[in-house]
Amino acid sequence: MQAAGRRAPRFSWPAFFAVIALLYFFYKIHAVLIPFVLSFALAYLVDPIIHHFEADGLRREHIVLALYCVIAAGIAMAANFLLPAMMSELSLLQGRAGIYYAAIQHAFSVFQADLARRMPFGQYIVEKMSMRMYNPLMEQLPKLPSYILGLFPLFSLIFLVPFISFFMLMDAERLMQDAIQACPSRRVEQVLHIVDEIDALLGNYVRGLLIVAMAIGAASYAGLLLLGVDYALGVATLSGVSSFVPYLGAILGALVGGLVAFFQFHTFAAPMKVIALFCGIRLADEALLQPFISRHAMHLHPLLFLLALMVGGKLFGFVGLLFAVPAACIIKVLIAVAWDYHSSQTQTSRRLTLNGVEVPYI
Amino acid sequence: MLQKLRNFLVDKRFVQKREFLKSLSIFRGLSNRELGQLLQMFHSRTYHEGEPLFLEGDIGRALFVVESGRVELTKSGPDGRPQKLAELGPGSFFGEMALLEHLPRSASAVAMQESALLLLYRSRLDEILDSYPHIGIAIMTHLARLLSARLRRASESLVSSSGEPRGSTPA
Repeated sequence: MQAAGRRAPRFSWPAFFAVIALLYFFYKIHAVLIPFVLSFALAYLVDPIIHHFEADGLRREHIVLALYCVIAAGIAMAANFLLPAMMSELSLLQGRAGIYYAAIQHAFSVFQADLARRMPFGQYIVEKMSMRMYNPLMEQLPKLPSYILGLFPLFSLIFLVPFISFFMLMDAERLMQDAIQACPSRRVEQVLHIVDEIDALLGNYVRGLLIVAMAIGAASYAGLLLLGVDYALGVATLSGVSSFVPYLGAILGALVGGLVAFFQFHTFAAPMKVIALFCGIRLADEALLQPFISRHAMHLHPLLFLLALMVGGKLFGFVGLLFAVPAACIIKVLIAVAWDYHSSQTQTSRRLTLNGVEVPYI
Repeated sequence: MLQKLRNFLVDKRFVQKREFLKSLSIFRGLSNRELGQLLQMFHSRTYHEGEPLFLEGDIGRALFVVESGRVELTKSGPDGRPQKLAELGPGSFFGEMALLEHLPRSASAVAMQESALLLLYRSRLDEILDSYPHIGIAIMTHLARLLSARLRRASESLVSSSGEPRGSTPA
């Protein structure tokens, strides 16, 4: 039986150029989109909580409002504890920046002298190294506290992102409904296919990422406090936030925490303990959290994963690193869906039959 | 006072839809909360008169539940002209085999009047099976019964067309 009204999908050049133009447009305005993308991520994070109460028949707008009140109270309580601790660590860092500067300068001079004495062409290597790495680094180092303070304008996102998320949470369902209604009727199933696949993937990814970031941040803070390392909160925050980029959290935590420990205790044992702490956190993340989190997440081949990070970083900087993996996963879903359609459309009109009697399939 | 508070907090449309799902045989035995969770997995769409939901040969990917209006199922006859299979009203569901595998639909479905339909897409069923196994088992049990009934019907047709049974009769 011939499929009525069924046509093979055809490649459309105007559609192709429209997609390319749209991508280029997003590339040009990506800086403006950051709060929206972060808001989207926040909406994904809290949506399961709203769904939980919505299943009992409660109005969405009331649940969203109540949730925002609870989150605001939680943030106020956390800020009450964290903000003074963070400010005291920053002022301590600003006060000690000169000491660290001198200590690094001294350590580097000793290293240089040692290198020049022991290695053939040592003096030449030292001079090259000074010109290319050491001098620019030492010029920037005293400015580090002001760089950190310069990040504070980013805190405006703390207010902007929940504001945008609020509207996303309130209207997302209606917008989705409108989009489905606007779809050509026979394409609804296909659109739902794509939307549901991406929705499930992104939801799991964003929630997993945030759980990992919070777990790494909390474990780092507890561990650094136990080891008695200065700036425990700052290092833990850095480690937690940077863990949005896979593997970066543990690496940065070990590096910065190790340096702080070295200058604080003046022994090699202290940084080794910090490195061991972050190795332990990374292993615990891999053994305890990842199996639970990545149960439904899409898996990328390590090479694709690396390629996505490199392309994302090159095109969009740090933000690109953050969103490289989910973007790659979405592309993979779209390819998988397209392939699924291709195989479905090209398969022969296979019928379920039993000894020649067709089994109805509707 | 309590009633006013309830009216203020509760989404009436959601509750109506939940009650509608409760009346369907495929979701029998589920609690209000489970029906609420199930309802969240559905998408809804209104089809205008004459608008096709799917055509014969389209790849099936969703289960359709008629919430209101009427839907006609037709199948091409040997002469290529459509033959009416059924006319479905509120509470009817069809396309459930698409939840099990992606095969071309063997009939077309067209809205006979403005009709509101609920759609359950396959990946949502997977989500239900994973997150709410009790709901998933209820749906799957019904699908298994439906398959069993069709298999019986097919084997009965076979017996009646050949005059005697060939091989074992599916239980």
